[in-house]
Amino acid sequence: MNWLKKIMYWRKMSQQVLSINQRNLEFIYRYNPRKFYKTADDKRLTKQLLAAQGVPVPPSYFVIESFHQTQQVGQMLTDLDDFVIKPAQGSGGGGIVVITRRDEHGWYSPSGTLWTVLDIQRHVADIVFGTHSFDLGDFAIFEQRLRPAPLLHKLSPWGLADLRVIVLEHKPVMAMCRLPTRASGGRANLHQGAVGVGINLKTGRSTHAIHAGMPIILHPDHGENLIGLELPDWKECLRIAQRCGEILPLKYLGVDLAITDEGPKVLEVNARPGLAIQLANDCGLRPALFDVVNA
Amino acid sequence: MNRARLVYIALLLLMLAVPAGSLYYKLYVVQLPLQSLIPDVSYKVETLFEVDGYGNNINIATFLPKNDSRQRIFDEQNSGGVFNLEIVSEGLNRVARWQADNVNGHQYLSYTYHVSARHVRYDLLPELTIPESYPAGLDVYLEAEEGIQVHDPLIENVLYQRLGLPRNSELKVLPTLQAIHNYLQHKLENRNFSGFTDAITALKLGEASCNGKSRAFVALARKLNMPARLVGGLVLTTGNKRTSHQWVEVFISGHWVPFDTINNHFAELPENYIALYYGDEVLFKHSGNINFSYVFSTYKRLIPRNEVGEALGDSLFNSVNIYAVFEKVGISQNLLKILLMIPLGALVTVVFRNVIGLETFGTFLPALIAAAARETGLLWGLVGFLSIVLAAAWVRRGLDWLQLLHSPKMAIMLTVVVIIMLAMTVTGVNYGLFDLAHVSLFPIAILAITAERFALTEIEQGSQKVWSMTVMTMVVISAAYVVMDSLFLQSLIMALPEMLLVVIALNLWLGKWVGLRLMEFIRFRKLIFGREAQQP
Repeated sequence: MNWLKKIMYWRKMSQQVLSINQRNLEFIYRYNPRKFYKTADDKRLTKQLLAAQGVPVPPSYFVIESFHQTQQVGQMLTDLDDFVIKPAQGSGGGGIVVITRRDEHGWYSPSGTLWTVLDIQRHVADIVFGTHSFDLGDFAIFEQRLRPAPLLHKLSPWGLADLRVIVLEHKPVMAMCRLPTRASGGRANLHQGAVGVGINLKTGRSTHAIHAGMPIILHPDHGENLIGLELPDWKECLRIAQRCGEILPLKYLGVDLAITDEGPKVLEVNARPGLAIQLANDCGLRPALFDVVNA
Repeated sequence: MNRARLVYIALLLLMLAVPAGSLYYKLYVVQLPLQSLIPDVSYKVETLFEVDGYGNNINIATFLPKNDSRQRIFDEQNSGGVFNLEIVSEGLNRVARWQADNVNGHQYLSYTYHVSARHVRYDLLPELTIPESYPAGLDVYLEAEEGIQVHDPLIENVLYQRLGLPRNSELKVLPTLQAIHNYLQHKLENRNFSGFTDAITALKLGEASCNGKSRAFVALARKLNMPARLVGGLVLTTGNKRTSHQWVEVFISGHWVPFDTINNHFAELPENYIALYYGDEVLFKHSGNINFSYVFSTYKRLIPRNEVGEALGDSLFNSVNIYAVFEKVGISQNLLKILLMIPLGALVTVVFRNVIGLETFGTFLPALIAAAARETGLLWGLVGFLSIVLAAAWVRRGLDWLQLLHSPKMAIMLTVVVIIMLAMTVTGVNYGLFDLAHVSLFPIAILAITAERFALTEIEQGSQKVWSMTVMTMVVISAAYVVMDSLFLQSLIMALPEMLLVVIALNLWLGKWVGLRLMEFIRFRKLIFGREAQQP
């Protein structure tokens, strides 16, 4: 009866994996009332709520809320050499522009693309008209460009790495670090080719890593070892993630943090966090989630 | 247990109990025979003509079936192209005449009707004798005609020498017809050629096709003072064919009783026979030099039995007899069937999305396309779906470049979808692909939204993703089509529309199902199958 034992074992293992159906029914629908989605979907609102309670977020320079304000962008950028433009309700990193330096012609993204005032105005107009957020009128947030902590800068020189922590009822249950790669075009989305690194919650050390769905040990671009690394400011990261869970009305959350040279800052929160974190950690979410549910 | 859970369980039980109760009521209280719950077979028959015009005037005529006590004709549809149609009565027959002036090029026209016919069988009383005389008006069915040489000596010879019928005595109807039928059935070889064979030639050669045998039958019957006539029609089987059929009817005790000596039907006719005309006629008449060709395409369909409504009679269910209601306002039963099957198609989509885990465009798009594809067939349905979505998504890319706002852009996409559909319909008609022409029944708004989703997905998630979603959508459309096309499920739902509540119950259950999707077993295979079991 070897095969039966095997099937029973697979059954046991499959019961540790959180499925989409179960995530939606038993976590998102149960813990995240729809009327509070906007506190996660609108980055400006999220930042306001968190900053008011002393949670560190990237400082905003200014927000463009309507088309006629786009005329003033040039004037408002007078003193800024580097910054980030984000649509308040964008998803998947769409519409985000990072500016790292400027000269007499204009501003430059990390890849060296020149952005004139007119280019920036046009991009802001697109954001305001909702090009990146399904035609719901949107705001364009100009905020400080974050400088990643040395370890993370070494691991992903092409884009800002982030830390995703799943929080249920303000208890962190699983975490992973997402490293943009050359293939992902600077974006930290796993399905766009970013590397996912599973992090042990207790120690803050990386335990496992995946790229394009396959386990890896070395970074696909520069060959740096990804296993056993210790993230800086780990206790602070967990404390901030926990604070987000306490402050926001959403009780099943994906908190996205940037670990900067000035400490961790909350980039955004997600009311429908994905399931790939289980692959990055090589571990199903269900035991950890139900520990919280049954606590 | 909280309240939502209780309501859920109560609702689930209700959705199962109501159909169970009504099934019990129908079968045991009203005592509806199970047989009557099984829908009638009906056939959709399309006659497709092709002609070539060289600037000439073209006339085409053929016979259309009529309603009578045996066959019921409904949902007729003329797709005449450049031709004008006129339908007239000529004696017993219904004649369709298409006419067009100055016709140029290759032209198609088609006429479609649905038919549902009964199997009939007559038991002839053995003691019945051939009458001396008949009511006025039947004389014409006793006379000789060009191909029915009643007075030829050979007819007499066959009757009295070869069949050995007694002369100058009173003949009984049953044995006489049996003798004629068996002689033509067994002593004349069946030949499958399409030319005209008169009665005498058939009897001389000892072989004939249906028209020769039928003329011989009529001549022999008329000689013995039994009014008889030729019937032209079709034997319906799924598929395409060019052959029509002829059989005969003999007037016995006030009834026209059918005989077919090719397929050995004595005083009976199967349900797949459909009569098109009576008398010694030619099925198609048309102008010369037009390179005329035709084909009959037959599809099997199901319709509810009329008996269901009658059997339910005064019972509770008569007020909700949806078939009768639809019939009253003249909405075709085909539409009713599509309506009833769409929830099943949606259930299939739900299973594919939530249990198997295929990503499709839109939740119900596959079910709606599958429903619309009933008119085009699955292949043309998929071709139509793919071409419309691709073309509209391509147009959207151009609109994106122009940078338009969402709503006006979607309105343009909708218009583009309509234009593409019309173009496909016109192309379909021009090339005789009348199935393809039915793409105009596709849900326009949903296709426009799908094209939009297609384009967005391509931008946001790449072309590999968008193509895999397109293929999965087409897989689900096909699955929904197969289920919605299933004769068994159609019969079940049409006879017991309350089964729709069971569909709701299944969806309620699936709505609370939290298991891993099949695709998630693949996605998380390393977590599930990747580790060796530790020995305890």
